Amino acid sequence: MSAAQHRAADTVLEASGVTMIFGGLTALNDVSIRLEEGRIVGLIGPNGAGKTTLFNCLTGLYTPTRGSVRLRGKSLPSDPAKVTSAGIARTFQNIRLFPNMTVLENVLVGRHIRMKQGPIASVFHGPVFRKGEAAARAKSRELLEFVGLRGVETEVARNLPYGDQRRLEIARALATEPEVLLLDEPTAGMNPQETEAARQLIFRIRDTGVSVVVIEHDTKFIFSLCDTVSVLVQGEVLVEGSPETVRDDPRVIEAYLGKPREEVEADVAEAAAQQQREDS
Amino acid sequence: MSRFTGLIPLALVRPFNALGGLLLLVAAMLPWATFLLNDGPFPEKSTLQYFDAPFELTGFRWHLLVFGVVALVTTFVPLRGKDRVLRALGWGGLVIGLVCGYFIAENGGGFGAITAADGASAFGSVVAVLGGLLLILGSMAKPLDEIPEWPTSLFGLTGMAARLEAYAYLIVAFAGVLWLVTQTLTAGGIGGAAFPYAGPIFLAFLGFAGGLLGALHGIGLTRWVSHLSEKHRAFSIIVLLACAFLLPFPFTGAGSQYWMQVAAVIGVYAATAIGLNIVVGLAGLLDLGYVAFMGIGAFVAANLSGAVASQVGLDLPFPVAALIAAVIAGIFGAIVGSPTLRVRGDYLAIVTLAFGEIFTRAAQNNIGELTGGASAIPGVPQVTMFGTAFNEKITLFGAELPSGVLYYFMIVLVVGAIMAVFANLKNSRMGRAWIAIREDEDAARAMGIRTGKAKILAFLVGAMLAGLAGAIFVHKLGTASYDSFKFLESVTLLAAVILGGMGTIPGAVLGASLLFVLPEKLREFDDFRLFFFGLALVFIMRFRPQGLVPDRHRRAELAGETAEGKPIETEEEQAVLEHEERGHAGPSAPKEDRA
Ligand SMILES: Nc1ncnc2c1ncn2[C@@H]1O[C@H](COP(=O)(O)OP(=O)(O)OP(=O)(O)O)[C@@H](O)[C@H]1O
Ligand SMILES: [Mg+2]
Repeated sequence: MSAAQHRAADTVLEASGVTMIFGGLTALNDVSIRLEEGRIVGLIGPNGAGKTTLFNCLTGLYTPTRGSVRLRGKSLPSDPAKVTSAGIARTFQNIRLFPNMTVLENVLVGRHIRMKQGPIASVFHGPVFRKGEAAARAKSRELLEFVGLRGVETEVARNLPYGDQRRLEIARALATEPEVLLLDEPTAGMNPQETEAARQLIFRIRDTGVSVVVIEHDTKFIFSLCDTVSVLVQGEVLVEGSPETVRDDPRVIEAYLGKPREEVEADVAEAAAQQQREDS
Repeated sequence: MSRFTGLIPLALVRPFNALGGLLLLVAAMLPWATFLLNDGPFPEKSTLQYFDAPFELTGFRWHLLVFGVVALVTTFVPLRGKDRVLRALGWGGLVIGLVCGYFIAENGGGFGAITAADGASAFGSVVAVLGGLLLILGSMAKPLDEIPEWPTSLFGLTGMAARLEAYAYLIVAFAGVLWLVTQTLTAGGIGGAAFPYAGPIFLAFLGFAGGLLGALHGIGLTRWVSHLSEKHRAFSIIVLLACAFLLPFPFTGAGSQYWMQVAAVIGVYAATAIGLNIVVGLAGLLDLGYVAFMGIGAFVAANLSGAVASQVGLDLPFPVAALIAAVIAGIFGAIVGSPTLRVRGDYLAIVTLAFGEIFTRAAQNNIGELTGGASAIPGVPQVTMFGTAFNEKITLFGAELPSGVLYYFMIVLVVGAIMAVFANLKNSRMGRAWIAIREDEDAARAMGIRTGKAKILAFLVGAMLAGLAGAIFVHKLGTASYDSFKFLESVTLLAAVILGGMGTIPGAVLGASLLFVLPEKLREFDDFRLFFFGLALVFIMRFRPQGLVPDRHRRAELAGETAEGKPIETEEEQAVLEHEERGHAGPSAPKEDRA
């Protein structure tokens, strides 16, 4: 095994035994997932399975009742701001941009932790400040370009079409220069072309060295995107493994997919064919 | 789209406009009061006296004449944005007619005074109101045109030539602003016993100024100028400072001791309002006790000023005392802000309200012998620098400037500096963090913003600015009394910020000016002035919730316009349609979420 392969198998993010109880409701029960560097992990499961709750536990928005979350072996604080500084960025299921700020400003807010300007420098705008500001703007524009948002810099975020808002949210998350990116239903409400563009975007993000966890209901999308897939049902991990293993697992088909096996297989075959077309 | 759109048929637009313009013009020439009022003839020779000199029109009658002529011309020439112009002129005429007519009728013995009585007729105000209404109705036939965009250089120049061209426009524009400011300050004179008609004349002038600005906005001029000034920011600031510097000179008409006094007070409150704007406008934290920080600054400065009544017995130079006042106010700001870590929204407002009340009560009871209690700290000495006390008259460039002008200059500089601080903060990592918190606190935290620290910093900076303003205020006034820093002042400042436009500098300054000039001007209405004031606030909030000079962001949020100022409706509909389409076509519709 070469050194590069070795590193590729390094664990970046690991949640073990995470349990989240709201009053009498156990939203997550002893959930463990592992994310390896440079990989894309999919998280699927029926509505209310606890997928978003898991994201909230990973990012410090919720403090798990039991269990631990570790980023590169270090356990994470239960403060979203500190978790972001540590290297985890996320998007939200129901888009949460800063609606009345411009597109560029939204991404600039994402640069917050990577900028050094203190209050005094912010008052006086000295040469160092200006250099930092210019660099942040350049980087933000680069990211907008990267996610495919052009010519809308000065538009206020709330006026963007739906799909563009999702992309902007990804650009904003990337601006924090995360090691791990958590995407909560990034293609919800998108048409097929946009969905495909989103898939390509996630691949490109992975290629820059960011490890990704994706929640999605669209199984075709997930199976053609992810290296491993975890299926969450009623707060527990039902199955975990490669897309092939997961889609073939009868429990998954019964518990989650709820459609006849042939249909699922057709989906997967189509996804595989698509993959082949791209590879050639 | 307004609810009233389509109220009158399109074919009637031009007749309505033409007739409206004509009526304004006629109203200018008609007498306005049938007989002498108790307080003497109504100004601008409007009491049946126009027959002496029919073409010698001044004041509001001259304004009406101009409006009428412009409206007539605009009706028949092709002009982009003309419906907005006509509407603005209509409102201007309506306000002038209503204000003067109401005042004459109310003060001079009823309806006869503005119609016909004793065989004489004076229909000026009625005709003006009619003309204004016609113009407004005419603009309601169809949705308003888009405000036209102007090219940066009107002659297609580039490089240095374009820059010089822009400079020339900016100088003209700011000279116009200076003119409007002095006219507004002096309109109607000082009021009170000296001139019984100050109130209506001033309000009528506001009608004129509003109509004028509205018309200029309608043809895209104001937006163009603000675009130019944004592009040449440094130059604009210099010109603006120069204008402010020129204000006290005799040729402007505002160069009297009285107006220096008023301008200085406005400046102090404008500075405080800008500070409050950081807390409320940027960070979105409602602070109902803000004026307490100004009070803390004032009492600290008074105690360090060597005033006889102060128990501290220190006599520090003003700049040092002002700095200490700002820092101490800032520390209190941070302390008051710290509950923001735990409480949100409404609860925070209550905490700040309580703090404001605690401050007033403590100061009233002479806490620690530092506030003088009910007898205040009198005899705070004048600021003195280079051997000149700031309340002396000075001679500059051969012109004798009124006393108090040095305070005015100092306050102009301070306000300028505070504006710069605000603008810089707003366009920095810190300012963006504040706005992000205002927009969505959880999302801000997810971006790594330490929201607690950021909020406390907002309180701290805002309180420092208020403390500084308080230090100047107390020297100018000569007395530090708890009476000047009560809840009503906090509310008025908040009103200034909201009225002017949250999160913008011109908004805060305009708001503060209006709120502190109006009561001066409306003295004769006595207790009613607060009533008018409240009424005006309600109207503004109803019809222009984004404030008079809205922030780009706020405008988008509250007035249904995009950042560029285009109406949003069509775009929004489009987006909704697209969204729905996608929702159905897509694999799954978005679901609600708690995160
Ligand atoms: N803050 C909270 N307080 C109480 N219950 C909560 C809270 N957050 C989540 N839950 C509950 O936890 C369960 C899991 O919700 P979660 O949002 O994680 O589901 P999900 O898998 O993301 O579903 P979907 O696919 O609809 O987004 C639900 O029953 C939900 O009601
Ligand atoms: Mg969810």
